[in-house]
Amino acid sequence: MTLQLLINGISLGSVYALIAVGFALIFNILKFSNFSHGGLMSVTAYIGYVASVFFGRYIKALPLFVVILLAAALGGGLLAIVVERVAFRRLRNSNSSVIYYFISSITMGILMENSVTIFASSNFYSYPSFFPTSVIRFGALSVAIPDLLTFLFSGSSLVILLVVLFRTKIGLAIRSTSFDTATAKLMGMDPNRVVAATFFASGVLGGVAGVFLGINYTLYPQLGQLIVKGFVASVIGGLGSISGALIGAVLLGVVEIFLIGLVGAGWSPVVIFVIMLVFLLLRPRGISGVIVQEKA
Amino acid sequence: MEYLVSTLTFTGITLIGVLGVYMVTGLTGLFSFGQAAFLAIGAYISAVLYKNLGLPLPLAAFVAMLVGLAAGLLVGLPTVRLRRDYISLVTFGFGEAIIAVLNNTANVTGGAMGLSGVPQRTSFSLVLASVIACLAVVISYKNSKYGRQCLALRNDELAAKSMGINVERLKLVTFLIAGVMTSFAGVLYVFYTTYVEPGAFGWVISAEWMIIVFVGGVNSLTGAVVATVLLTGLPEFLRFASEWRIAIYCIIVLLILNFRPSGIFGEHEISLDFLRRLFRKGARAA
Repeated sequence: MTLQLLINGISLGSVYALIAVGFALIFNILKFSNFSHGGLMSVTAYIGYVASVFFGRYIKALPLFVVILLAAALGGGLLAIVVERVAFRRLRNSNSSVIYYFISSITMGILMENSVTIFASSNFYSYPSFFPTSVIRFGALSVAIPDLLTFLFSGSSLVILLVVLFRTKIGLAIRSTSFDTATAKLMGMDPNRVVAATFFASGVLGGVAGVFLGINYTLYPQLGQLIVKGFVASVIGGLGSISGALIGAVLLGVVEIFLIGLVGAGWSPVVIFVIMLVFLLLRPRGISGVIVQEKA
Repeated sequence: MEYLVSTLTFTGITLIGVLGVYMVTGLTGLFSFGQAAFLAIGAYISAVLYKNLGLPLPLAAFVAMLVGLAAGLLVGLPTVRLRRDYISLVTFGFGEAIIAVLNNTANVTGGAMGLSGVPQRTSFSLVLASVIACLAVVISYKNSKYGRQCLALRNDELAAKSMGINVERLKLVTFLIAGVMTSFAGVLYVFYTTYVEPGAFGWVISAEWMIIVFVGGVNSLTGAVVATVLLTGLPEFLRFASEWRIAIYCIIVLLILNFRPSGIFGEHEISLDFLRRLFRKGARAA
């Protein structure tokens, strides 16, 4: 039973990891918490739905699912680039202080969520079921197929991201820019392109996460507010650290599943908030232990 | 006429909330995504105490503000020592947690169904008096030593610290004052609408207040007041476009951020002194 919950928790945690890493990427490079990520996930969840209606006539089951994920990922990536262009480009050029990024990202998030509300809230939508809801048995353990696929697809998106970050030239550029923007610029990297690439990567992860959220819950415009899980995961893991975000997210998923078993779904946000407070009191730099300095 | 008064009353209550956000965000540069939770605390505590336990209204309001203070301490104490991002994350979690608590204590708060049947005890004149009192508090805070310390802290925390400002205490005190003020707004709110539900206190409300502060100008109290009247008062009269209201807000804010990042009023205040100077300038020109 416990092992069973653990597996469900890891599957949930892998979706949180998508959110948390997409969030950490932007935090790393621009040093602010990107609240527009939630709005982006709302939009991509609907993009995925539109794709499922559009392609659902030709293909079924697993191929359809892959197509939907690709559509949402691409949509999310492009949308993130637009967001960067509209909300942050001018701020970056004028070297604005962090609070302006903040307010800009919140506004952008609300705007995206509200656009979804305007165009889609009057009707109720939900994803078709892609897989037979059967289980695979490993001895005494039974793993639901959707859970397994969630884990596989989130995991592979994260692996792809890590490969891009650590094995390609653009990944190197992203990492060096997040380390020191001015020096990276001196070394001949175009900050606009690097930031756009980072936003694209973050948007792709947000897109995949949006589809999974849309499948796990129903589609509603406020879906993106689940981004709070990504935030909590990053606080636990350490703000701005990719590995920390991964660990924090999986931990959060597992804890949450256990809490739902213990205290019920209603009370679990309260307990998670208390856990977050305790974490901040005892170990504010998170698990990864990297602390981002304000200055000097 | 009644409609006008009710709109003005709501604008007044919102203004008190915005004043709280102005202190936290405008003066100190912190972002609280849970400010609306203080509104919820004020509203629910006072309503439950008054309705279920029969406490006199002023006492119920006082207890509600005390609870707001305690909640502020709970959130503020662990976070003021950390980077500013944390206070936004924690307040965000705090807001969601409060809503979860309200939803799960249905036998007292009515849960998602909301708490109804609260008598209407707030009048326009009471709200007006409260607004004036809160404005007085904020103005004197801004012009005091603490207000100037807040501005220093907002612009450069490290420099403020090295000038001997107790940054952590200052952040905490400002946050607490704002929390108590917002709780008070909650008391006014519930005894005016006579009905509250947890859904009305989500983080979007807190974000809207922050947007209002920014539209007015981060550093201008006058701006905050004017923006509140513009953004909450006027849309009430433009109800027909309600679906697009928030979207239009957002676009306005994005335009302001991109092209006039200091907000409508920037750093300017309309004060008696300012008007006197304006008058003198006009006299000289004539």
